[in-house]
Amino acid sequence: MDNKIINKMNNDQLIIAGKAFSSRLFTGTGKFNDQATMVAALQASNSELVTMALKRIDMQSKEDDILAPLIKSGMNLLPNTSGARNAKEAVFAAQLAREALQTNWVKLEIHPDPKYLLPDPIETLKAAETLANLGFVVLPYVHADPVLCKHLESAGCAAVMPLGAPIGSNKGIKTAEFLEIIIEQANVPVIVDAGLGAPSHAALAMEMGADAVLVNTAMAVAGDPVAMSRAFAKAVEAGREAYLAGLGGQSQVAVASSPLTAFLEAG
Amino acid sequence: MKINVNEQPIELDQQANIEQLLTFLDSPLKGSAIAVNQKIISRSEWANYKLQENDQVSLFQAIAGG
Repeated sequence: MDNKIINKMNNDQLIIAGKAFSSRLFTGTGKFNDQATMVAALQASNSELVTMALKRIDMQSKEDDILAPLIKSGMNLLPNTSGARNAKEAVFAAQLAREALQTNWVKLEIHPDPKYLLPDPIETLKAAETLANLGFVVLPYVHADPVLCKHLESAGCAAVMPLGAPIGSNKGIKTAEFLEIIIEQANVPVIVDAGLGAPSHAALAMEMGADAVLVNTAMAVAGDPVAMSRAFAKAVEAGREAYLAGLGGQSQVAVASSPLTAFLEAG
Repeated sequence: MKINVNEQPIELDQQANIEQLLTFLDSPLKGSAIAVNQKIISRSEWANYKLQENDQVSLFQAIAGG
């Protein structure tokens, strides 16, 4: 391998709001069968940032404490505002999450419709403005809308998180053309979130120049979540390395890889 | 005194602060957030914030999520 690329990979850190990450694979804690599998899978992914949700607890049935093993593993926690249906609820959820997890980082997600869980752009922008003004490090989950992403950047978001496909759908990157525009225009990190169902999807996002990806469902529901998390880690690294190496251009017609000079016929 | 926690009536022997309430409920301090009558109470105030009769307490906890 070219030494220049090795150097690039070795010094390749993602910085969000002044915080450096060596791993460009962010993960979520949802949908794992049990806590031990979740912790083992997240460790296998080498992820340094994991999302969590916040819930008004049911006094009749106590929730497991999933926080302790995550903190013990040295993960940074990224609370989300899942469940919020509008900007007001999301701001309240973010403030609660800040108290609960003692972090001013928040994955802002507002998806009022439970069928497709698509993010509400208007409420998300409103909430992003308010939260950025309150000093939050805001990472908004949005549709792959280049104009909206620029608005969110102007509102003070620390990154943008456009979707590949609906949450948990495992459909892969259905928004490629728009993600490319977002990546080209962004002055903040672009984290492709939602819908990535296979390591190849994650690799594709990284090859396109995404700064990171967020994967949850594809790991949690895999036959072997630990092995799948490891596979995602490799794919993200491979995709990043390919991006840094510079992909060759595409062509409509064949471009020979072997010399076409005649050698059987007499010259 | 009587308060409500997430719509559930709770009877306390005596006036309690938020830290004492969480201990009474056997709820972890870490990963929890509290609002009293819709106002979020910062963790640093928990030890001093005295609950009042009929307070509506909302208790939130960090859970798994993507």
